[in-house]
Amino acid sequence: MKGLIITNNPIVSEKFGNEYRVEYVDQSFEDLLARVRDFVHKGYVILTHPLSGSIKPKETPYKSVLLSEVPLLTGVEGESLKLIENSIIKAKAFEDKTNNLSESVLNDFRLIDLSLLESAL
Amino acid sequence: MRLEMGHIHIKDIRFSEESKIVDGVLFVCEDEIRKIVLEDEKIKSVTFDIAKPGESTRITPVKDVIEPRVKVEGRGGIFPGVIAKVDTVGSGKTYALKGMAVVTAGRIVGFQEGIIDMSGPGADYTPFSKLINFVMVCEPEEGIEPHHYEQAVRLAGFRVAVRLGELAKELTPDETKVYETCGIKEGIEKYPDLPRVAYVHMLQSQGLLHDTYVYGVDAKKSLTTMMSPTEIMDGAIVSGNCVSACDKNTTYHHLNNPVIHDLFEEHGKTLNFVCHILTNENVYLADKMRSSDWTAKLCRMLDLDGVIVSQEGFGNPDTDLIMNCKKIEAEGVKTVIITDEYAGRDGKSQSLADADVAADAVVTGGNANQLIRLPKLDKVIGTLDYVTKIAGSSADAIMDDGSYEVELQVITGATNEMGFNCLSAR
Repeated sequence: MKGLIITNNPIVSEKFGNEYRVEYVDQSFEDLLARVRDFVHKGYVILTHPLSGSIKPKETPYKSVLLSEVPLLTGVEGESLKLIENSIIKAKAFEDKTNNLSESVLNDFRLIDLSLLESAL
Repeated sequence: MRLEMGHIHIKDIRFSEESKIVDGVLFVCEDEIRKIVLEDEKIKSVTFDIAKPGESTRITPVKDVIEPRVKVEGRGGIFPGVIAKVDTVGSGKTYALKGMAVVTAGRIVGFQEGIIDMSGPGADYTPFSKLINFVMVCEPEEGIEPHHYEQAVRLAGFRVAVRLGELAKELTPDETKVYETCGIKEGIEKYPDLPRVAYVHMLQSQGLLHDTYVYGVDAKKSLTTMMSPTEIMDGAIVSGNCVSACDKNTTYHHLNNPVIHDLFEEHGKTLNFVCHILTNENVYLADKMRSSDWTAKLCRMLDLDGVIVSQEGFGNPDTDLIMNCKKIEAEGVKTVIITDEYAGRDGKSQSLADADVAADAVVTGGNANQLIRLPKLDKVIGTLDYVTKIAGSSADAIMDDGSYEVELQVITGATNEMGFNCLSAR
């Protein structure tokens, strides 16, 4: 199964850049979810949960979401739209705690985001 | 399946030359237990400490909490497929050391979380403040990957708990409880008028540091399945989950699962407790579809009237929870779901990341975003280095008087989604 990965995690981009279509966005967690929604509006289907992992939104800056490789010809998929809208609402409820994270913590967060995605690939 | 649970009440824990239990006092030989921990070369060192209820002590970061148990009669051993050989457990006789726990602590990853306060306002929010805790603080060898080290500490905790449990093997329990379920046909004949109820237990299974093991099998690799409700009491399910302290199910929670115990209380009186259904919480949406389809299918095949569904975690598992609820209800089986909420610090935001009209009977473990202030305590077991980095905390969490203002999220077991805690709206 191939697909489109939308990520702001550089190690995901590095690891899967050749195998998958990777859209690397150097943006915040919430901006990344908005980017996923843009693709859903184009007819792409979400394949992994946008709020995967128990590290809460904006506690980790990193997120990677797998979408279908190509958009549906029939237009927007309702379930994907509901999922991303709900995820954006949920993410907004959290305070941003990503300032002042040390490099070692950021490294752990990148690794965990990578492994959550890998568990689905 | 019939299991006799003998309870040995532990009144105190003391360090000693020899490990033994005498008159309810657990004596622990540090050198002996250290050897058991350091069998794994990934662990560089370990220190032990004892934390008692009411002391001005904070344990952090907490990884797992484990109740020592020992198999006295019947098949298999404690933690089958993990410590003991694979064999079906849940029958015969098992002893548990009550009133105490083994707590594994120390850094796994840089943001790892989990606080147990033994006194003060934080203590009210964790059930583990009421136990005498034997704490192992482990340090990894240099250069070990976090997930390999997590496995090392996880297994070391189980080995120690099993060794301490074995000290009770020849003792006479202070009290005994019997748990018994019957086969499908037998149950229908025995309780023809009682509603048939099962427990749907959702296991955290998202990936690295978010895993649960059933008889040693990573739950994310399993289809929805079922067990006899007594198997979990012998350690058939263990936690490898290091994330989200407030609503992660520790191994202690699994061993003492309150849904199972409460269903047993009513078994044969107001309901017929049919079985324990296990399902997972994977990241890939097709896995969610498959697992929830199977959960609903099993509920229908077992001709259930109702189920209780418990969740573990936030966000992604909300989707599994609602899928399970919707599909099981669509089969004509009533559901009650247990979850917790991330409703913002003011409690005004949408509580879950998913919802459905079928979810009309919901029990909440509390709002994990709720702010509380934890005063400075005299003693710290572990390290405070991560308190400002753990979930629900922030860099400005430390107040001038040394107290912390944090979200309930940081406290181990505070909003447990099996309902193992005591938060209440009353």
